Amino acid sequence: MTTCDRQTSGDLDLYFYDELVPSDRRAVEEHLHACSECRSALDELRVIREALASRPDVSAPASGDWSAFMMRLNASLGEQRTPTVTVVPMTTALRRPYVEYLAIAALLSLVTLSVTLALRKPQAPADAVPGVAPAVVQQVRTAPTKDVSAFRAMTEEHFERSKLVVLGLATKNAEELQSIDWTYERELATGLLNDTRLYRLAAEDRGLDKLAGVMRDLELVLLQTSMTDDKDPSSLQQIQRLIRRRDLIEKMDVVATTGL
Amino acid sequence: MSADANLISRAAGGDSSAFQTLVERHRSMVYRVAYQFAGNHHDAEDIAQDVFIKVFRSLDRFRQDAQLTSWLYRIIMNACIDHKRRSRFNSSAAFGDEAEQKMLNAPEETPGPEERAYGGELGQVLETEIGRLPQGQRIVFVMRHHQGMKLCEIAEALGLAEGTVKRQLHAAVHRLRHALRQARVTAGERA
Repeated sequence: MTTCDRQTSGDLDLYFYDELVPSDRRAVEEHLHACSECRSALDELRVIREALASRPDVSAPASGDWSAFMMRLNASLGEQRTPTVTVVPMTTALRRPYVEYLAIAALLSLVTLSVTLALRKPQAPADAVPGVAPAVVQQVRTAPTKDVSAFRAMTEEHFERSKLVVLGLATKNAEELQSIDWTYERELATGLLNDTRLYRLAAEDRGLDKLAGVMRDLELVLLQTSMTDDKDPSSLQQIQRLIRRRDLIEKMDVVATTGL
Repeated sequence: MSADANLISRAAGGDSSAFQTLVERHRSMVYRVAYQFAGNHHDAEDIAQDVFIKVFRSLDRFRQDAQLTSWLYRIIMNACIDHKRRSRFNSSAAFGDEAEQKMLNAPEETPGPEERAYGGELGQVLETEIGRLPQGQRIVFVMRHHQGMKLCEIAEALGLAEGTVKRQLHAAVHRLRHALRQARVTAGERA
């Protein structure tokens, strides 16, 4: 059981990682002369460093050869529209025309399916509203038709909920923020974080780059909020700066008013 | 303009050899972080692939005045989290399970230090424990301990407050020290 403040405050870790300013460093060194518990903790940190240093430094694929990695990367990038790396595996090159025919066929199927769906009475989006995470996930990930209108309805609902949280964070006074407020904000952010990540991935899957970009910014703000605690008064200001720097509220407004 | 910024600018303009060079310059660093995060080659390679695909898609969004490494670390962090989320999805019934909801802060379900200490060396015990850290703690620990980045650099790269990074690191170190003590106790009992 740790009893020394130097450990609970994290100062000892910072001393170990040489992150303290000289005056604080000297203070910790003096403290170490008198505190056997902290000396023991410091020894443990050294043992951890040495033990991990003995592990192999892995910075390349198991074979040590990057060619397979580069070929796979090239194959993935070959499906993108803009530049590709130069190494093109023969198998991929031979397969490409065939893939293009398949892509055209898939596109035609999608168009047909979309027209069919549009002619039918549309499904009420109420069932698809992300109030319960599993429902959202099922809707977002399993919709084989990639029906953009249903996706848009879910996204707008998600943005509405998220915007309330972001606005709350952006307008709060850091000086007056209570611990209980932080707990509440953190819970809200954590609750929205996974859904946001899913929507971002779904937007990426559908090639909705701008929407994915806004989701990415939102995700970052929610992640930072969910990882923050009330012991750091500068945290809220940091989050508020992030929201401003990313123009997040404005971007969410644009998405809400112009759609996807 | 730095060499990296120049390469990115050329790659964004459609110069495929520039992108190839960019990948070659940074693939070792990306792979190293991915491996330290994932703990195995299979996942590390998937993560590294994702990173470079995301870099490719985002070439036109890179700010010339930004540090490429900071930008890369943020992409790596997201790729690591995405990869873990995807693998959870593939191995479970559906997204949205309770475990999925708690994924970001839940420890990994791998054998604890007691089991590992019996047959393995200390480094392996600790490596396993790193794999069990919640993702936020794990990425911060990997960046500080393995990559030697300062707290302020990590904070900038991840877009987090420095205090948050400090607490994540402290929590990670605290757990590793606990695992170390348990491993020593277990090893002592076995001896």
